[in-house]
Formats: sequence, C-alpha cells, structure tokens
Amino acid sequence: MAPSQAAHVPTLDNLIKSFNNQTLEASIESLIFLLKWRQVKGDECAKATAHILRQVVAKSKWNDVDQLLSRIQSYGSRLARAAPLEPVIGNVVRRVLGLIRDEATEDRNADDLASEAASDIQSLTPSTNPTAHPPQRPAPVPIRPSPSVISTGLQVSKSMFNLLSVANPGDSPITGASTPMSQAQPASAHALRSEVMDGIEEILDEINQADDQIAGFSEIQIHPGDYVLAYQPSRTVEKFLVKAASKRRFTVLIASHAFSYGTSEAPYATLRKKLNAAGVNTINLASNGLMAYIPRVNKVIFSAKAVYQNGGLLVDSGSCIAAQAAYEYLKPVIVLCPVYKFCPEDPSDEVSRGELGNPSSYVSYANGPAVDALDVENTVTDYIPPELIDVYLTNLGPQTRHHLASILADHYKTEDIGFSLQLGEP
Amino acid sequence: MLCRNRLPTFGVSFFFTINTMAADNSSQPAPASGAAIQQLPVRSSPTSNPSQREDGAAFDIVRTYRDLLNSDRELTMGVAAIESLIELLRETSSSTAMELVEIVKKEKAKLLASAPNPLPLLAGADLFEQYLLRSLRGPTATTTSSGSDRVLSFEETRQHLLDNKDLFAQRAKADRDSIAIWGSRYVSDSCVVLTAGGSRTVTKILLRAAADQSKHFKVIYIVDGHNKRSDVAVAQLREAGLEVETISPHKVAYVLGNQKQINLVLVGTEVVMQNGGIISGMGTAQLAHLTKTVKGGIKRFYVAAETHKICRKTPIAYPMVNRVGVRQKDISKFDNIGVKPVVGPGSSDTGPDIVDVVAELDEVDYTDPELIDGIITEQGVKMTSQIWEMVDNYI
Repeated sequence: MAPSQAAHVPTLDNLIKSFNNQTLEASIESLIFLLKWRQVKGDECAKATAHILRQVVAKSKWNDVDQLLSRIQSYGSRLARAAPLEPVIGNVVRRVLGLIRDEATEDRNADDLASEAASDIQSLTPSTNPTAHPPQRPAPVPIRPSPSVISTGLQVSKSMFNLLSVANPGDSPITGASTPMSQAQPASAHALRSEVMDGIEEILDEINQADDQIAGFSEIQIHPGDYVLAYQPSRTVEKFLVKAASKRRFTVLIASHAFSYGTSEAPYATLRKKLNAAGVNTINLASNGLMAYIPRVNKVIFSAKAVYQNGGLLVDSGSCIAAQAAYEYLKPVIVLCPVYKFCPEDPSDEVSRGELGNPSSYVSYANGPAVDALDVENTVTDYIPPELIDVYLTNLGPQTRHHLASILADHYKTEDIGFSLQLGEP
Repeated sequence: MLCRNRLPTFGVSFFFTINTMAADNSSQPAPASGAAIQQLPVRSSPTSNPSQREDGAAFDIVRTYRDLLNSDRELTMGVAAIESLIELLRETSSSTAMELVEIVKKEKAKLLASAPNPLPLLAGADLFEQYLLRSLRGPTATTTSSGSDRVLSFEETRQHLLDNKDLFAQRAKADRDSIAIWGSRYVSDSCVVLTAGGSRTVTKILLRAAADQSKHFKVIYIVDGHNKRSDVAVAQLREAGLEVETISPHKVAYVLGNQKQINLVLVGTEVVMQNGGIISGMGTAQLAHLTKTVKGGIKRFYVAAETHKICRKTPIAYPMVNRVGVRQKDISKFDNIGVKPVVGPGSSDTGPDIVDVVAELDEVDYTDPELIDGIITEQGVKMTSQIWEMVDNYI
C-alpha cells in the first residue's frame, strides 16, 4: 500500500510497457512475481491480466480456437493461483474466454451452413456412439486428470429442456473443446487473432472507464445536505465523491481504521483538499468510534474488491464494520463495484477467513522486543454477507442483489464459470 | 413474508395445469403414494385401479409409473413420470397431434391424482408436455439460434422421445454427477456438513468431496428413525470412510449452536418451486430457519436439485403446500380433536391407522427462498431469484 515500497519494483505501467520487449514467458513470470508479492493488487490486477492475455493472444502459437482457449486457460489459471484472493483475475480470464467463443461462433456462422447442418446430424446420435465425433477432431487436451468426468459431467445449456433435448450435452465439455469450435478453419486464425485483440482492448477500455462511469451516477445517489460516510475511500470512491462535489453540497465523513503507524500526514489529504475546494465539508474519523457517528450519517459508501454470485462482497478489511454499523441503524449501504469485479461463483472459505497481510504498519522492526514476542496478524480483506448491502452501484447503473444474476449471465459464458473448477482442488 | 414473490405471467400451458389439477380432486386417488420406493410394506398394497384404465387399452399409467420407480431406485419421480408418459406415447396409436396431446393431458391428470404429493410428478410431466407442445408451435416460436436446442416437428419429436427413453434416464443420472462436481466445491476442508433426508444427490456430493484427498470433513446426519433413505445414505457415507454422526431432529438447534465447525447445511429436494422455494420432506423448513437464525459463524444452506425438479407453481397463500396441490393433513382444520386421527381428504376411506402413519412420513413443508443460499443444479449453482428466469426460458 505504501508508495515507498513500490519504488524498487517496477510499477504497473512500466511492467505493461516491458511486456512488449520481453518474451511471453518472462512477462508472465514477472507478473506472477508481482502478484505473489502483492505489488500488483486490486484494480491493477484486472488491467495487468487483460494486458498479459493480450500478449498471449498475440505471441503464443495457436492454430485454432481450441488451442487458443486452452492457452488462455492455462496462463489464466497460473495467474489466478498466484493471487487466490484477487478474483478479478479470474473474471478477466473468463471474459476473454467468452470473447473468443463469441468470435469463433461468428466465424463459424459465416462459414458455410452445410457443415453446421452436418454437425447437427452428428449430434443426433446418442453419446454412446463413438462415431458421433468427427474423426479429424483432435482429442481435447486434458487439463485435469479426469477429463471424462468433467466433459460428460458439466453441461452448458441454459434450457430446462436439457433432459429431453436432441443434442447431446456431453458434446460441449467444459474444456471448451466443443464440436463446433474445433471446426473453425486455421485460415481464419489470423482474422480471429486481431478480432480477439480488439475485444481485449475493449475490455481494457471498460476497466479504465468504469470509475468515471460510476462517478456519473453520483448526483443521483448523493443528495444536497447529505452526510456521507466513506470508509477507506479507494480511487473509485474518490472519483465518485469529487464528481458529486461538483454538483452538490454535502458533508463527507472519511473513516479509516486507526491511523497508520509513523505517518505524520493526515490520511486522504489530497481527497480532502479536492472536496474542500469544491465547497464540501470533510470530517476525518481517525478513531474506531465509527458507530457513534452512524446515527448522523445518511449513507455509507465504500468500494468492493469483488462481488460474488450471492451478492457477498470481498472488501478491504474494516469495511465490514461500517456495513454492519449502518445495517444496525438502517442506513443505506452503497457499494461501488464495476461490472468486471462480479464473480460468477460463490465465495470460498479462504474468502470468509480473510487474507493476512503485512503487519509492519502496526509494529515496527525497530521495536525488537515486540517483533520477537508477538505474533502480529493484519487481516487485509473482509467478507461482507449480502444482507448488509442495499445498492450495488455498477458502471451500468445501480442494481439490487436479485438482479446480479442477470449481469453475470450477460458477461460470462456458462462454459467459463467452471474455469475455477480447473484451478481449484490442488 | 411472501409478498415479495414476483407473480408469474401465466402462460397458456400453465392454465392447462390448473384445469387438470382441479379436475383431479374429484377423482378417487389410489391409496399408495408416489414415493412407493420407500420399501414400506404398507405401500405395496394393490395399486391398480380398474377405473383408471384407459378405455379399451390395457395401458395403466399409474402402474407403469410405479413399476418404473420400483425397478430403478436411482430414478427420480419426475423422470419416472416422463418415462411413463413416453410409454403412453408408445401405446397410443393416435393419428393427429391434437388428439395425442389430449390423451397425454388426460393420462397426466390420472398420474397426478395417484400421488398425495403430485408436485414432483407435475414437474416432470409438465416438462414433457411443454416439450411436446413446443413442437406444435413450430420452429419459429422459439429461438433456433443454437443447433443444440433445435425444435423438431411433432412427428420427429414423438419419434425422438420414443427412441431415446433410456437416454433421458441416463442423462438424469449424469445430471446428478454434475451436481456432485459443483456441489463438492462447497464442502470445505476441516469442516462439518449437516444434512438430512437421505437425498441421493446429497450423498453423491459428499462422496465426491470425500474422494478428494485434500479435504477432510465430517458429516452430521439428521435421522428420524422412520426414513429408510437416511439410513441407506448414512451407510453409504460410512462405507466411503467418512465420519458420520447421526442426531435426531430435535437436536438440530443444539448442534447448530454448539458445533462451530458446521459451515454448510446441504439438503436435497423433490421439487423446486418457481420462486426458488422448495417443497421437501417435513423438517426442511425448520432446518433452514435454524441455519439462518443460530448465531456464530457463517453457515450456508444449499439445496441440491436437478433442473427437471423445477415445478411451475408459486406458493402464495397459506397453507402453502395444500394450496399448490399437495394432499396432506391441514393442521389448521383441527379436525382430530377428541376423535380418532384421520388423514386429509385424499385417502380418507382406507384404513386410517396405517394410512395415517404413511401420510405422516410423507408430509412435506415449504421452505422460503429467503432462507436458501443457493440451489446446486447440473447447470451450476443458481440463486433462488434465478429459478424464475430459467422457467421463463422454458415457457
């Protein structure tokens, strides 16, 4: 978190620049290194992942869609494993996989319709018939030791008619090596490459613009005269508040956990300056007595690291206290979460346990006896159960918990939701 | 509590369902229930009712259905209903499509009337009927974008159904394996899973999780001494080397409150209602309520169910289960005070003592979607609010 630490490792921008000069493997390794050391985190993970996947599409060798998908899956799962508590990595990988599938389907539809009809006839035959698979089709690369269970096990159709349908669900295994995909012509690989890279550019644009788009909703959410509690405002929240300040007169209470060790400057000084310049009062709550201010507050705002399928949140530690306090006093809790932070899965156990981080802001190494005698644990993430959240403010607008599913359905392919199945279960 | 349920825009077919269900209540239901698989001696009483025979034909759908259930213990009631309707297609030699549809509707009504809890059968039979009707609407009515979901013509549909009867049963079983894959992720290392009811799907999930060497977990099974399925499930789990403790239902709150390692409560169900609630064996709602209210740690309540168990009905009014067509004793009537216990209107004229026990065992309750964290289907883990969208697709 402290900028001084980031000085002797490459910053994200430098890293992304260096991708162009390095080999793919070297870029991946350097990113994994940074992820493991938590030098790249939060929103940066999403950007870095999108950039590196762009490199994978551009530099790695692949001849057809299946190969490309499995490349992205294997590199993606290496990244995701390096930082298990940064679910956005998995999200971006899934988005890219979905993108490739879309492009491949378009290509296939543009191809002759005769081959499609042929594949329909093939899928009419029941699964027990081995000739159902075209002989020229390469065997799907087994990613897990038991591919047969997966490929016959997980279906992708969204229809309840699955049970009775004509097509054989086993033809669309989770590895992505489904029949239509593998028929894509190698000749179109070049076109596909540029289309996919364009698509990744679009995802990157979306990630970059998300904060501004969310800030665009600020004047709807913040009313004149409001007292807004911003808990540990992240960059997203800062933009949101500053944008609101340009239109509205309100008061911001900036809360953070006990002020960090050894810094003289008041926290969030730049944010306060910006807000004060716009004529918005700010109050710093430096103590843990958050609860005392809640009755005065109209709404609580913070940003999420990730939003899970059930509406639960992964947040920086401490936000849960703010959310719970607001819940007890029936104050609305607004979470700022761009769509790329929505995970199509439920929180794992590590999430609810929280991640332990660097405790050096609480105990200095200069304090020898304390370092020797104490185990200092610093939990850096929290899980917030969905009941505590009122509004999910995404870059597509405000949502309630019950409609998160449709956002997920719009952005991820069902095939790719199982992406984490492959990287889970070590 | 339920005022938030979104009311469905009833499709034409749903209207049919209502009609047939209303007609059933007058016909005399057979004493044995659809859950005849339960090895209960009382259930093996003669079931074939001559009045239910189709005129002239020797085909009896109720008997077919029961034979199917008895012959294969892995079959769910919904799939058995589908298979017996396919048998009906095979037996019927009608020339026109509409006539066939009418026959299917009539036989479906007979089948539903035969079970005290017709909902599992209704879910399967509705799915079958919709599939048949879809072909009448023609390929333009539904999306033909993907080749996998192609709409066949009526005759093709019929032939496809007849040819692939066994395939459907296989798929239904394969669905359970997919559920096991999804579900086993929710079983975590060094935790305890609380479960009840003897669901075959839940057993599969636990067995799959147990096969994973990196997970060591224990199971607490709620058994009530009557439900033979629970005993079978417990035996299966123990055989797989899992540590299983059994408790009686009245210890649930105590165990939930004191066992801090319980982080998952997993149940199966026979029916998922379209609002995401479930109608399942008596005690499920209690378990769900306790899971939500007992303090200490995050405990999640998950339901394992295949999508063919989704039933297009929404319980709105009390008494919930009776209003959606389950024939069981309505306690609010207080009609057993001072008299010998009688069962609900469904089976009043058969030996009351025996039937009473049977009915007690078969009773179901309704669990509100608010209490359910997710439904593990073969298509992934769904939020309860997603169930309606799935049904919407299929109408």
